[in-house]
Amino acid sequence: MTGLHPLTLPLAAAAPLLLAMLWPARACRAATVWLTPGAALPALLVALLMPEGATVEGRWLLLGARFGLDGTGQTFLFFTALLWGVGAVFGRSYLARDATRDRFFLFYLLAMAGNFGLIMAFDAPVFYCCFALMSFASYGLVIHNGDAEALRAGRIYIYLVVLGEVLLFAALVTIVGATGSTRLPVAADAPLRPLTVGLAVADGDWRRPAAAKMCGYALAQVRCATPTSAVLSGAMIKAGVIGWLRFLPWGQTPQPAWGSLLLLLGLAGAFFGVVVGLTQRNPKTVLAYSSISQMGLITLALGAGLVAPEHWPAAQTAVLLYALHHGLAKGALFLGVGVAQATGAHGRGWTVAGLLLPALALAGAPWTSGAIAKSALKAGLGALPGAWAEWLAVLLPVSAVGTTLLMARFLVLVWPRESGRGHLTAGMALPWLGLRGAVAVPLVGWPSAVGREGTTFDTSKAWSSAWPVLAGALVGWVAWKWGAPRARLPVIPAGDLLAVVERVSHSLRSHLSRRGFGRVWTRAVGGAAAALRRAAGNLEATLPERRCGRSLQRWPVAGGVFLLLIVVLALLLTPLR
Amino acid sequence: MNFDSWVLVLILLSSLVPAVVIFLLPEESRRWRTAINLGGAGMKLVLVGVVVWGVYHEHTYSVSLALLPGLALLLRVDALSMLFATLSALLWFLTTVYAVGYLEGSPRRRRFFGFFSLCVTATIGIALSGNLVTFLIFYELLTLSTYPLVVHRGTEKSLRAGGVYLAYTLGGGLTLTLAIAWLQALAGPVNFTTGGALHHIADAHAPALRWVFALMILGLGVKAALVPLHGWLPQAMVAPAPVSALLHAVAVVKAGAFGIVRVVYDVYGVKLASQIGAMPWLAAAAAVTILYGSLRALSQDDLKKRLAFSTVSQVSYIVLGVAIFGPVASVGGTVHLVHQGFMKITLFFCAGSFAETLGVHRVSELDGVGRRMPWTMAAFTIGALGMIGVPPLAGFITKWYLGTGAWEAGQPWVIAVLAASSLLNAAYFLPVIHAGWFKPPAGPWPTQHVPAGARGETHWMLLGPSLVTAALVVVIGLLANAPFTPLEWARLLVAREYE
Repeated sequence: MTGLHPLTLPLAAAAPLLLAMLWPARACRAATVWLTPGAALPALLVALLMPEGATVEGRWLLLGARFGLDGTGQTFLFFTALLWGVGAVFGRSYLARDATRDRFFLFYLLAMAGNFGLIMAFDAPVFYCCFALMSFASYGLVIHNGDAEALRAGRIYIYLVVLGEVLLFAALVTIVGATGSTRLPVAADAPLRPLTVGLAVADGDWRRPAAAKMCGYALAQVRCATPTSAVLSGAMIKAGVIGWLRFLPWGQTPQPAWGSLLLLLGLAGAFFGVVVGLTQRNPKTVLAYSSISQMGLITLALGAGLVAPEHWPAAQTAVLLYALHHGLAKGALFLGVGVAQATGAHGRGWTVAGLLLPALALAGAPWTSGAIAKSALKAGLGALPGAWAEWLAVLLPVSAVGTTLLMARFLVLVWPRESGRGHLTAGMALPWLGLRGAVAVPLVGWPSAVGREGTTFDTSKAWSSAWPVLAGALVGWVAWKWGAPRARLPVIPAGDLLAVVERVSHSLRSHLSRRGFGRVWTRAVGGAAAALRRAAGNLEATLPERRCGRSLQRWPVAGGVFLLLIVVLALLLTPLR
Repeated sequence: MNFDSWVLVLILLSSLVPAVVIFLLPEESRRWRTAINLGGAGMKLVLVGVVVWGVYHEHTYSVSLALLPGLALLLRVDALSMLFATLSALLWFLTTVYAVGYLEGSPRRRRFFGFFSLCVTATIGIALSGNLVTFLIFYELLTLSTYPLVVHRGTEKSLRAGGVYLAYTLGGGLTLTLAIAWLQALAGPVNFTTGGALHHIADAHAPALRWVFALMILGLGVKAALVPLHGWLPQAMVAPAPVSALLHAVAVVKAGAFGIVRVVYDVYGVKLASQIGAMPWLAAAAAVTILYGSLRALSQDDLKKRLAFSTVSQVSYIVLGVAIFGPVASVGGTVHLVHQGFMKITLFFCAGSFAETLGVHRVSELDGVGRRMPWTMAAFTIGALGMIGVPPLAGFITKWYLGTGAWEAGQPWVIAVLAASSLLNAAYFLPVIHAGWFKPPAGPWPTQHVPAGARGETHWMLLGPSLVTAALVVVIGLLANAPFTPLEWARLLVAREYE
């Protein structure tokens, strides 16, 4: 087979959208839900069969649309399409008895189309468009279960989305303004000003959960349906990385300042995720925080690419392999939570044993995808100048120990405790097993369609990737055996920073109001605001109305004024002729 | 006179004649009235289409009619006139359909539709005016023909709003008259000329030209609702929904904005306008209006009032685009003449349908309305997302051109204004969308309001126009680059202006 026609690119992205268009017809709704997994199929085929470098232009679409597929796109599209497809199969069974299942799948399809589209978008407006579609549609997924907690998560999510949109707009406009073209990816020699780079960094950082975003993200996870968690954590979270890959000029001009900032953000994310994740009691939030930590590692590779652009190819390989590995493993783990809940105590051993492989992969155990990605990361970071390289050589294994601990904690939490038989259906078990199978593939080597150089495990590195896992497992076992029953970890509430901010502001307010100071303050601020509003209202309402409004309502007056105007004008004009 | 001259007169007559006939018809002859209304609107659409085709192929149309001794009406078209004329003709047609459905069974429909047609005649006249005097005459005619529509309901509140409206707009008209008279005294009759008509006196009268410019903007700014001249607009929302729709999307507000575009491009010309230092002031006024309007919209619970403040903010996008010196931003500004029209008319149509079908007027009463009226709510959602500037809708195209244009012109502060405005728009539109779709309704919906003959969620004459305009918001955004879209047209006219 020589490959598909490039026109398949936009069609693959539009397939979920077309299916979603059937949704409003009640008669088609059940069929739409049933067909949802199939909507991911064209994108999966494109990822596997489309030759690298295909592009297609739609001159009438938006401001001249361009879709394309490069190596980056192939990798991202592959695991993204796989996750959305598998998630849909799983979701059909998982939500079989849910009253709002149909609505869920409408938003699922819309978000899916957005996610596929932004991977294949080769010009700025299309990227922005797909991004907006994905983010806004996901709101419906986040608030799916409709209780107060989900609505709170949804509210925070939408704040973050809107702020992210605005940052993305500013970044894209400045990039297009500076390069004079809407084409993506930005050329490596593009003359970008610091402001532009800063906005792009801030933008990607906003959607990749490094700073403020992670609270909303983790919070959202608690209430999400399991398939949402899988696509959110495995696929959608990577949109920020794609944005960075597309917007910044990679591999030519060193950007030491921004690169260092990314490295710092990456490290902070990597450790923050582990520390907060360890205190969680819900297996899904543990996984969410682990995603934050893993995305931090991807950010490290990107930072290295900015600091040392001459070694960008190695860093790029690390980014791609890490994104692929994390997407598949995290997807398998999230679906596993749903499976474990469904099995109950009966057959829990098998379920947890099944979760062991993706958990080990995430920890980076030898021969797994995680180990391959980790060694690619080491190669990517190896080119960094002096101090960074030394520090990272120490900190990376420490983070691997942390991830192992996190996975151990996850396995303990996911262990089903209720007795009795569950109601696990084939519709849930098969997709999970399939995704687990995909995680297992790298044990024998990744297929070339998704692979790059160095995609098989180098046996000589077995020990260097094994010891952090063993150390983490040992620490975890000791803690579980002796520590856990007696000492309870302090729980940092899901949504960490945000929850803290909320609590502090609340207690501050109640504290101040007890002292009376708060009341004075509130009254002062409220009074000033009210006075301002009143003043503005008065200004609008009174001035003309009181004086001349009444008399002007009478027709003869209004007509007379009009006639007068014409006469004055005519008189003024006559002498000119 | 040949067809090329007559076609412009026919465009005017296609609504002036229906106006006269409707005044003569008895109140009860509903069918005749509707037929004449729709016939006139359809004919106008066809005629405008013919002229658009001609202008695209650089054909010129012009006609001069003697009015008073020494005073002639000059009708002439260029790309900018046709942008506005097409918008008016198309939306008038849709609004007529909507108004027929909306006012079914209510009193005083003869007066309403008569003035409605006069109002559109004035608007089209503004679009086709070839010089300042003609513009002024139609501009004032618009003021007067809109008044009976604003006070149509005859309640205390609407009479008060009508009074405020007249006070503001006649004051503005007076200022504009003064400015035009002054300018004519300096320069003689001023015909609208692409690139500016005042170069010959630019050096001799620079200070006076500055004052005239300020007066003109003051006069036009009243209708364009520039802060602090916007006070009449939020009050005028007491008018029936079709009037509000026309007022906010096509007629009054847009006439003011169109006038500002005309003054900057075809009276002064962008080069002269920036030479006399007027542009930064205009841009600042627009920026303040954009932010102030959105801030006020946040706290309005009355849906139509919220939309009215949103208009204050959105119309100034046009002024902002004009006030940034550079072709890209100019495209953004002029194209928003059309984009804002389609989005805002969709929102007002929907607001009117909610009020007419369910008796819902407040944002706080909209909970769960999406389950009762899904199609109307879908149209509303498209309009609102477009206002925020979410791609691929029309508002996004505007925002994109304004943003890249501002960057190109070396004015990055504009991007910050646009970003802030998007945030504010999101803050006052997204809660409405959330309430409509995701909140459960407070109780069973009242049934006494549902218009007679309504099958499905509401009367088809209310639903149809909203769906058409919502679809157009999607199409002109998604296919912005296709031929004959507003964007393509705006590029054409800006290319001619910056030649």
